[in-house]
Amino acid sequence: MRDAFSRFLVQAAKANPRLVLLTGDHGYALFDEFRKECGSQYLNAGVAEQNMVGVAAGLAKVGFFPVVYGLSAFVPIRVLEQIKMDLCYEGLRALLIGDGAGVVYSHLGASHQSTEDIGALRSIPNISIYSPADACEMEWCFSAALASGQPCYLRLGKADLGRVHHNATSNPLAEPVRVHGDDYENAIAFLATGSMVRTAIQLAQAWRGISVWSFPRLKPLSAAEVDRCFARAKRIVTFEEHSIYGGLGDIVAERLAQIGSDNATMLLSAGIENRFSALCGSYDYLMDWHGLTAERLQLRLRKFLGDRGRAASI
Amino acid sequence: MSKRFDPATLRRTILEMAFAGSTVHIVCAFSIVEILAVLYRNHLRLGDGTPRAERRDYLVLSKGHGVMAQYACMRELGWLNDDDIRNYFGNGTILKGLSDAHVPGLEVTSGSLGHGLSVGVGMALGAKRKGSGQRCYAIVGDGEMNEGAIWEAILFAVHFKLDNLTLIVDENGFQAMGATQDILNLGNLVEKLTAFGFESQAVNGHDEVALDEGLSRTKHSTNGKPKAIIAKTVKGKGVSFMENRNSWHYTRLTKASYAAALAELNAEQA
Repeated sequence: MRDAFSRFLVQAAKANPRLVLLTGDHGYALFDEFRKECGSQYLNAGVAEQNMVGVAAGLAKVGFFPVVYGLSAFVPIRVLEQIKMDLCYEGLRALLIGDGAGVVYSHLGASHQSTEDIGALRSIPNISIYSPADACEMEWCFSAALASGQPCYLRLGKADLGRVHHNATSNPLAEPVRVHGDDYENAIAFLATGSMVRTAIQLAQAWRGISVWSFPRLKPLSAAEVDRCFARAKRIVTFEEHSIYGGLGDIVAERLAQIGSDNATMLLSAGIENRFSALCGSYDYLMDWHGLTAERLQLRLRKFLGDRGRAASI
Repeated sequence: MSKRFDPATLRRTILEMAFAGSTVHIVCAFSIVEILAVLYRNHLRLGDGTPRAERRDYLVLSKGHGVMAQYACMRELGWLNDDDIRNYFGNGTILKGLSDAHVPGLEVTSGSLGHGLSVGVGMALGAKRKGSGQRCYAIVGDGEMNEGAIWEAILFAVHFKLDNLTLIVDENGFQAMGATQDILNLGNLVEKLTAFGFESQAVNGHDEVALDEGLSRTKHSTNGKPKAIIAKTVKGKGVSFMENRNSWHYTRLTKASYAAALAELNAEQA
């Protein structure tokens, strides 16, 4: 997914000489190709993220297209106010890249992990939020962000989990897309984003009657886009490597509350609970610690789905 | 007929707005009146004279709470009319108590301190990359110099050789809660900015001739160094009972104080 990102970025920069890539002294190997091909459009702003976003806004105001790269713990979290006031208030065209989202930097601890970025940005007007699950979704998200005339945030999580989509399809608006199940399998809906899409598919295969939807775009989302993912479902599960507050789980919960439930629809929101990663360890270890591996989730799901999800095989 | 951007006239507009809207920050606007007057009169190239002219120089009011001084200049330019002044802070109007980029004529949305300079640095960088010859003037308060982002912007402007940027510090010696040297002492800003790599000078911020000379010097220097003018100013300049009285940062005008202030300005101009 990172290779795809680098490739799209170089293509976009070659097509638009007004594209300027700003990095807060991060992205060591990621930008080798960019620096080689488009060196004059590369700008290391130093370890000074607040100024970097302000400068990006200034560049956007005078006709440039800034792409701002940082770890998601810093872009957007450290610079949230600059995003709000310098970019979003005027709705300036800019692309923010938050890399290493979730608990990717598992050994470094809470400072480099970001499980609140979606929640923090969702309440700011004018910004779009993208969270691709694989290289294919990266392409959708990247094109959608390029076509947008507004601030966009591209959340890059665990990048080496392999493909979710095996056939290259077109989805220029990065709409929610079904990645498992069919029209008849709709009693249970799994809705997932980013790194958790593969886990959701893996879990769904253990039951019958489950459709799985991937959400490469989390904002804006129309009511219709959300509704069609769980049209007749009685049980909904959301999966995200993000806090259970403010992310996909809440997007669905908000929508369910608006619709009103007359068929006892219930939602299980699988994400990072109200806690920091207290311990050091591998990515897999921390995902397990947060209860987000397929193994850990299977127990919760069995309880939640009851006899609605008849086990096909365990 | 008085000259364009006459400081006493600008201060009268500020008082008029502050009284109409029952607003604070009067003295924060008073300290930058001459700076803005000289910039608008002699230095800012405004292109076709409309607020968003293509190749205009940029005036970034990073200390957004001084915005009434800029409104006063925009009235002189015909960008604001008497109704805008009279209806200040009225329901449904667009002129706020802080600089807001949605208002034609204001370049940045500031008020949260430490934002405007970075945005101005980005605009200066963009102008450089385009080779358009546009300059950017950014006005920062001395209290605002407490903000870390300001120093990030200063490092950046020097590193990227933005000699089309002029940073003007409104050094009135006060910030919201008291004297700047008592709250978070900035020391000698000319020395500091020179050490950071700016071409820096101290100027009497109420002496229009000195300001004009200082700004002229910064304009013609293309040595790769960003410029800084440390404007020594008086908070509340122009009305004796407001000068260096920091409580006026938050004080609203009464009928009596409005009349007294106007009388002083009229006497000065007569």
